[in-house]
Amino acid sequence: MTPFQWILVSSFAALAALATVAVVAGRLGRVAGLCWVAAFVVGGLAAIEPDRVTTVANALGIHRGADLLLYLLVLAVFWGFLLVYVRLRRVRRELTVLVRHVAILEAEQGGSDPTRTDASTAESPSHH
Amino acid sequence: MDPNRPRRLSGNRGYRPIVAVNPQQPPCPRETELRDSETWVVVPLYNEAAVIARVLKGLRRRFANVVVVDDGSADDSVEAARPHATWLLRHLVNRGQGAALQTGTAFALARGARRIAHFDADGQHDVRDLERMVERVADGACDIALGNRFADRGSNVPAGRRLLLKSAVLFHRVCSGIELSDVHNGLRVFSREAAERLEITADRMAHASELIDLIARSGLRVEEIPVHIRYDEYSREKGQRWTGGFRILFHYLVGRILD
Repeated sequence: MTPFQWILVSSFAALAALATVAVVAGRLGRVAGLCWVAAFVVGGLAAIEPDRVTTVANALGIHRGADLLLYLLVLAVFWGFLLVYVRLRRVRRELTVLVRHVAILEAEQGGSDPTRTDASTAESPSHH
Repeated sequence: MDPNRPRRLSGNRGYRPIVAVNPQQPPCPRETELRDSETWVVVPLYNEAAVIARVLKGLRRRFANVVVVDDGSADDSVEAARPHATWLLRHLVNRGQGAALQTGTAFALARGARRIAHFDADGQHDVRDLERMVERVADGACDIALGNRFADRGSNVPAGRRLLLKSAVLFHRVCSGIELSDVHNGLRVFSREAAERLEITADRMAHASELIDLIARSGLRVEEIPVHIRYDEYSREKGQRWTGGFRILFHYLVGRILD
């Protein structure tokens, strides 16, 4: 193996180990963890034997193995964006709930209604 | 029958007639001195220091409970609104008009509001229109009254805005299956039951579309009331543009897919 292949394989192995630890520690679901580990193992194998990737690419109707990796990478990036966006929406919603809670807790009564000059000026808001 | 006897408006539990009106005449908010304490008017406020005091003064003449929700204004809106609001709520950070409306609605419901009204802070709406809408909901004629600017000949809707709004109407006719003439009018009145059932989760401007969806699915009775929208230089500058329309469409579609 070339030095770069060593770097790639070591990186994929480390990532697979991290995913396994995360599953064991309960920070990552079993199915998600399995998917991640499988992806890292496939990545490592592709680094060791790039010709196999070309074979798979040809079977899928793609000329070069590098093109197949590029397409998969694009898909993975878009999928990642979507996951981050969904999580961002959830965080925004939680922020809104928090901001709303504080706003209601700290509600302040306004002025004494300067538009009124008759007896109803003294009327206080109805609290039910 | 004594024509000067104070007239009771049928089923209008929120109004307290103070002066006598001629029973031969239809009830007209202009002629009756009324102050509604059961309808809570929610005014979402964001950078409207120039007009908010005038808007709130008009509302407080007719409504005892006006809840202003400041959505993190960067100008003097809060200082301008404070003397005229019944209640002032403040979002610590800007969360959008939909979030502000839901904050005001939640607050009003917690305080026992019988009806909830939405009223824009930019001075485009007319308090007399709101009174007519409240009357329809208070009378039990409908659960939700929505303002319809296209039924009012006085509303001189600019051509570009008209096209944008009519596109939204067509969109909702297809996507939500509800036949309305004006789906993005900020003037709305809900019965308490309706307000409890329709929770706005779209924080920003897509809340209007979300509300239409929720209304279409709820089975609640809806009525469109002709209202006058004031289009002056100020409101035209503040109003939605086509780019804003596309942004709303994007957030609405994403919300429908992801939520």
